[in-house]
Amino acid sequence: MFDFLIHVLIMCCLYSMLALSLNLQVGFGGLMNFGQIALFGCGAYGAALAYKYDLGFASGILIAVGLSAFVSWAFAGIGRNLQSDYWGIATLALAEVVRIIVTNEGWLTGGAQGISGIKPLLPELSGRSQQLGNLAICGAVLLVALLACMRLTRSRYGLGLKLMREEPQLAQSVGYDIMSLKRGCMIFSGFIAAAAGFIFAHYITFVGPDQMFSSETFLIWAMIVIGGLGNHFGAVFGAFLLQFIFAFIPFVKDMLGLPTEFVAAMRLVLIGGGLIGFILWRRTGLFPEKVGGRADG
Amino acid sequence: MKRLLTYAILVAGLAGSAHAKDVTIGAIIPLSGASATQGEDQRRGMELALEKINVNGGVLGGKLSIITEDSAGRAPTALDAAKKLVTVDNVPVLIGEFSSGITIPVGEYIAQQKKVHLNVASTSIDVRKIKGDFYSVIGLDDVSGAFSAQDAIDRGAKKVAVIAPNNAYGQGIADAFAKKFKELGGEVAASIMYTEGQTSYRRELQQLEKSAPDMYVYTAYGKESATINREAFELGLTDTPWYAMYITMCTADSDPKYIEGQIGMDLNYVGPSGADYQAAYKKQYNGDFLSTFNGFAYDAVMMAAAAINKAQSDDPAAIAAALAEIGKKYDGVTGEIAFDDEHQRVTQPYLKLKIASGKVASN
Amino acid sequence: MFQFVVDVALRACDLMLIAVGMSAVYSLMKFPNIALAQYAAMGAFLAIVLQRAGLPLVPSSIVAVLIVGVVAVLLNRVLFERMLAIGSSTAMIGSLAVSMVISAIFLVIIGPSPARFNLEITRPLRVLGARITEHQVLSLGITAAAISVFAILLFKTDLGRCMRATATNNLLADATGIDTRKTKTAVVAISACLAALGGIIITMKGEVNIQTGLDLLLPVFSAAILGGLGNPLGAVGGAIVIAMAETLITNVNFGPILGQDLVFLPAAYATAGSFVILVLTLLWRPRGLFISEVKRV
Repeated sequence: MFDFLIHVLIMCCLYSMLALSLNLQVGFGGLMNFGQIALFGCGAYGAALAYKYDLGFASGILIAVGLSAFVSWAFAGIGRNLQSDYWGIATLALAEVVRIIVTNEGWLTGGAQGISGIKPLLPELSGRSQQLGNLAICGAVLLVALLACMRLTRSRYGLGLKLMREEPQLAQSVGYDIMSLKRGCMIFSGFIAAAAGFIFAHYITFVGPDQMFSSETFLIWAMIVIGGLGNHFGAVFGAFLLQFIFAFIPFVKDMLGLPTEFVAAMRLVLIGGGLIGFILWRRTGLFPEKVGGRADG
Repeated sequence: MKRLLTYAILVAGLAGSAHAKDVTIGAIIPLSGASATQGEDQRRGMELALEKINVNGGVLGGKLSIITEDSAGRAPTALDAAKKLVTVDNVPVLIGEFSSGITIPVGEYIAQQKKVHLNVASTSIDVRKIKGDFYSVIGLDDVSGAFSAQDAIDRGAKKVAVIAPNNAYGQGIADAFAKKFKELGGEVAASIMYTEGQTSYRRELQQLEKSAPDMYVYTAYGKESATINREAFELGLTDTPWYAMYITMCTADSDPKYIEGQIGMDLNYVGPSGADYQAAYKKQYNGDFLSTFNGFAYDAVMMAAAAINKAQSDDPAAIAAALAEIGKKYDGVTGEIAFDDEHQRVTQPYLKLKIASGKVASN
Repeated sequence: MFQFVVDVALRACDLMLIAVGMSAVYSLMKFPNIALAQYAAMGAFLAIVLQRAGLPLVPSSIVAVLIVGVVAVLLNRVLFERMLAIGSSTAMIGSLAVSMVISAIFLVIIGPSPARFNLEITRPLRVLGARITEHQVLSLGITAAAISVFAILLFKTDLGRCMRATATNNLLADATGIDTRKTKTAVVAISACLAALGGIIITMKGEVNIQTGLDLLLPVFSAAILGGLGNPLGAVGGAIVIAMAETLITNVNFGPILGQDLVFLPAAYATAGSFVILVLTLLWRPRGLFISEVKRV
């Protein structure tokens, strides 16, 4: 049970990073990104490509950073003139394009077979100590990401983001460059998502295009809506909550003797129903956004 | 409430008695998501095996049971399930998953945990990389692709057009086929990897048609194969021979009229030991096999039970040792099973088949 | 050449009705309803169930279409209207959630195997060298008829005038005495019926399974956006452009140009091609091809 818990906690940390990243875009910047999983994929493939071509750990990070910066930049770029719902669909389509390219360019990415055998983060450890080490790394990276996000949103830049979300014209008139705000927000949050992908690749030692289905993005959306848009702790809490629920539904199934299909349907109902319920009855999520506090607080 | 009570009693029983002989093994299969049909079929195979084992005396004098977890076709969920089964349910043997992309990370974890892992569906040659007590009950793509190529040549094909799904399975088997077919002097005039889940494959088929092959070679999952077969018929491509790799899976969901006369290969599940199984399956589920994967799941459970009985223990290492012994020559419903040094199935008997009067028949 | 036209027409007809429905509902409700693609699958499943229960094909299709219309109106009243009060992005996420719950219901009730109508099978006819089956001709006919009826409804009837007025300026329409809520309800029902009919037509030519709705989502979105969301008849053009792009990628032989026998673009890129067209179009015309509205920031 203890090992299972550690694993669940590691996955919670990774999804928390993805949720933090998406929350920064949606909750603060009002950027309806439906292609979040592509940014995660950039990180994962950074690790995988570095392994496949034997380039070493550091260049893996470089590839991940480069890829995610490029994809975020492209996302922001097509958002130049678009209304948010149009942009949402465009990002969904772009993420799908990325997945299709990865599936078909087998010479580079290993195609649908993916890339397996990636080295774990702490190769010298094994068994439980390795797991604990992984958890420590994930926790530390999550903490750094959380602190960075908090610092960012308290700064003048963060205010600019919120202003862009609420009143883009006003933001422009008081001297914010909307485009560079969008771009900066996308690229910064892209790094956090790529970090999650990078660690994930080393953790499960396998990367493939099946990890980049759009349904993953929807899951992350559910986390931030339930946790509370525009609140960093909300995003992290939402990720932990959903991960824990998913991890423990199978136990409920065992206990009540329910068929396994129940778990599959339950997962969908929980994401979908959770979203609907929170939108209708508690649209601020579990942790409402703090409004009106002092900017430097 | 009643269920809760039984469960409580069961838990109390398990915890309280050291001499309990009941053994639980784990399975991770896709019961939702894109491969749900195949996952359901795997579940059926395991269910039939379990029934048979427990009717015939079970294992170690007690009952065998399987905890089945859904992988939803995603690696993170499958890993959650694997970790639950290993660290919480403490199962000695795991069966699964379906797609190679998930079996590999799950397999590496199971190997680390020193449990026995039975691969019943992932045919990518990449699974050879998994170390530890990892056994493939199914022949890998290099075996089946090569057999199909030889068979196609034997049936007089010189220039073929190939269509297969654009996933790990399709890419793997199409590559293996093309390699062997070229070795034998044939020409692969066109090769298409189709995107799963489309409403139509007309355009892909028309592209193949332009290469003017003397035989079409294809493999597809139930959902898409129904569409492909219908559209090939509608486009009049069925005047040229169609060769199906895993013909039962390729024709399971199709209307008999579209597939009449189709030839192909499949696993030997109607051998001397397979006939009873096929009859039992038909009786239980009121229909033919959903896919080709149920038999492997069945054989895996049967072999696991045999290994547990042989080892007289539910310790993974002892089971693995017994399994290696049994796996020198095991007579399964999918034919003779024997493992090579890397624990991969070497002998995979295939059948040369055709569709006659709407039924799969031997050729 | 004529075969190319037939292929484009058939693919366009798969997407057209659902895309028109998507666009129509957007014109009044001002949010892209993701659940609409699921209504298509729902219509097909209902029609199959009714046919199996002994009803002939035509009545069972009509009943199925009407049921889906009623379901859509109920969902709109209970969920989407309330979500829209919060914002269009919220409603879009809400519709995503609804579509997940519908998936779960399909999974439990229908299971993963594909379903099809019980129809007579025929060899294809040859028309000007192109091969086409009776069902395909019929599906083209039904699509054309449905689009025509919808166009007449939109441009020649009082309801259509109310719809266009409400779409252009909701407040003004309200002030002039148009019952905008009723008009919106009518459009929600009509769009759902169109989607359901679209799903039935796809199934008439083939099969439907629980993934069909989700698989259709992005191509349908692409068609609707290309045509300009909110301009229902523009979606007809959008569907044709998408179908042409996909058919060009899969079926045009570049061999003669390059001096070889057969050179095709990889078929797997057909879907990616249409998404790329979508993104490029949005860069050039942020609100689609057939929208001449002044841009709002």
